[in-house]
Amino acid sequence: MTATAPSIADPYRQRFAEFLANRREPDSLTGLRRAAFARFESLGLPTRRQEAWRSTDLGPLQAGAWNLPTTAPVEVGSLPDLGQAAHRLVFVNGRYAPALSQGPALPDGVTVTCLSQAAASQTTLVESSLDQAPGLDRHPFAALNAAFWEDGAFVHLPRGAVLETPIHLIFVATGHDALIHPRLLAVLEDGAQATVVVEYRGQGRYLNAPVAELTIGDGAVLHYHQIQDESPQAFHLGAIGLRQGRDSQAQAHLFADGGQVTRTDLTALLDGEGAHCALDGLTLGHDSQYGDFHVRVEHAYPHGTSEQLFKSVLDGKAQAMFDGMIHVRPHAQKSDARQLSRNLLLSRQAQAHSIPRLEILADDVKCGHGSSTGFLDPDAEFYLRARGIPASAARALLVYAFANDNLNRIGLTPLRERLGQVLADRLALLDGDAR
Amino acid sequence: MLEIRNLHVTVEGREILQGIDLTIGPGEVHAIMGPNGSGKSTLANVIAGREGYTVTAGEVLFQGKNLLEMPPEVRACEGLFLAFQYPVEIPGVANLYFLKAAVNAVRKYRGEPPVDAMDFWDLIHERMELVKMDESMLKRSVNEGFSGGEKKRNEVFQMAVLQPYFAVLDETDSGLDIDALKVVADGVNALRNAERGFLVITHYQRLLDYIVPDVVHVLVNGRIARSGSKELALELEEQGYALYNEEPGRARRAAA
Repeated sequence: MTATAPSIADPYRQRFAEFLANRREPDSLTGLRRAAFARFESLGLPTRRQEAWRSTDLGPLQAGAWNLPTTAPVEVGSLPDLGQAAHRLVFVNGRYAPALSQGPALPDGVTVTCLSQAAASQTTLVESSLDQAPGLDRHPFAALNAAFWEDGAFVHLPRGAVLETPIHLIFVATGHDALIHPRLLAVLEDGAQATVVVEYRGQGRYLNAPVAELTIGDGAVLHYHQIQDESPQAFHLGAIGLRQGRDSQAQAHLFADGGQVTRTDLTALLDGEGAHCALDGLTLGHDSQYGDFHVRVEHAYPHGTSEQLFKSVLDGKAQAMFDGMIHVRPHAQKSDARQLSRNLLLSRQAQAHSIPRLEILADDVKCGHGSSTGFLDPDAEFYLRARGIPASAARALLVYAFANDNLNRIGLTPLRERLGQVLADRLALLDGDAR
Repeated sequence: MLEIRNLHVTVEGREILQGIDLTIGPGEVHAIMGPNGSGKSTLANVIAGREGYTVTAGEVLFQGKNLLEMPPEVRACEGLFLAFQYPVEIPGVANLYFLKAAVNAVRKYRGEPPVDAMDFWDLIHERMELVKMDESMLKRSVNEGFSGGEKKRNEVFQMAVLQPYFAVLDETDSGLDIDALKVVADGVNALRNAERGFLVITHYQRLLDYIVPDVVHVLVNGRIARSGSKELALELEEQGYALYNEEPGRARRAAA
């Protein structure tokens, strides 16, 4: 612990003692928690003096007390519907809610269950996989998650298994200044295929620090969707670690709409030849929201391809940050990596920051990045108006068009349409001070 | 149908139009020719309602209504159409969606229900043939990645679908080869009728071989220097604009 660490670090130590006192689990698992907490203590809570956290203002986090989630029954409210059959698991304040969870029968050998149950029944697999995903070791909130997770989802597909029905994981928070640490551990063995939709939502003030560990084997295919719709007072500081085997394909579609201060650190490790990942994110910011995506794509083997497309639409005094790294290791020849960050400002007070980073240690690669930030194009607006479309509708259409190519990448039609509606509803609320 | 009286327009403090008078009746096709910088596109943009132009004097009436008071979308809904000199690319908005939004915006303004999907489809197909447009262009984003000729054809296509009462064509011929020019001209000619008026702005006489005007005006230094029959265009083609350039320049020096 460093002298500069913010003050909520100390209560964490006390909370960890409280937490362990109430756990009943194998000693080996508790050992992993202790190791993770030690890692957190050596990392400390981030400060803006650290390069990786320079842009993220965690100041608002310092105010007020934070607690472990309440054990009292809570009212959850309505849950989002995927609009199609799904294996649905619901977690309330980081705890599994079996009464709210349901789904059709799973194919033989496929596991979709809660992590606490898996830790008991598939202990070896869980313990050997847990906390192994790339990028988690340096992330203080991921370390806290590894120490404090109460539950989460466990997905395991054996070699060659194809799960047609999407997995829908809903993480609901109910406020009470709770520290919530939900976790997803997904392991797709070679040639397996699955679609996972993760939704974060809640009410009141809380700090959600989720971790998703996604490991996909050779030739496996994963479509991962994350919809962050936290409450306006909430903090969301999450980490996603994705490890891909040879010739595997991963898509990650991130949608960030809610929260006060939100950040997702996504690390993708192309850990085999010819792996491909397509990562995209869309941040809708209004009022004084801060939304942040930190992305690191690591090309470790030759012939890997990666795409990043991150966009924000910002109104009011909202701020968005995109920090995207493409790292190509020395032997990862013929890598092809592209990154694009585009920001649309709808108000004069909104701010977008974009930091592309390239570290290319191989000499035969294709890497490209681009970044743009701007207001709506007045020529395009005039063109639409000159065809009879009213000014407000013209602006809404242009914003929709800007964001829509991200939504179009979502293969689940009902989900794509729902998010399109979220976008359209948001446009109806535009301040209109962009002009 | 369109009456322009003593129109003076400044752009960033510079007077570009210095008193335009122009009256175009139903069914008439007027051409405006003039050298670069004479104010042709300014006139088109002021009629369509683009921002950045200040009308310091004069008026423009469209079917008896004060056009200059209307925002651009109302002008369009009243039946005015501008074929852009530089059509704008709008990534992410499919051409077909855009057209339907435009058609329905106009219908809403006129108190009509949204267009029936089948009727719209029939109309689109009929009009596509008029400008020899490929169906794939409907699905593509508005003007995105279109060639110069495709963009201009798309303008005429939009005009054919929206069926305005009056259309301004701002250098719709610029940058077109002769085949593309013929397609565009055929599209315009197919829309000519006893009610619809046109103002065809061009730098070149060539277009007027295909869209034969009733009246030709020569715009020089923000004024209509001369008006005449279609033969005037041929005369200009031979003699150029030098003759007209002299006079206002001399007049200005004399005043100074």
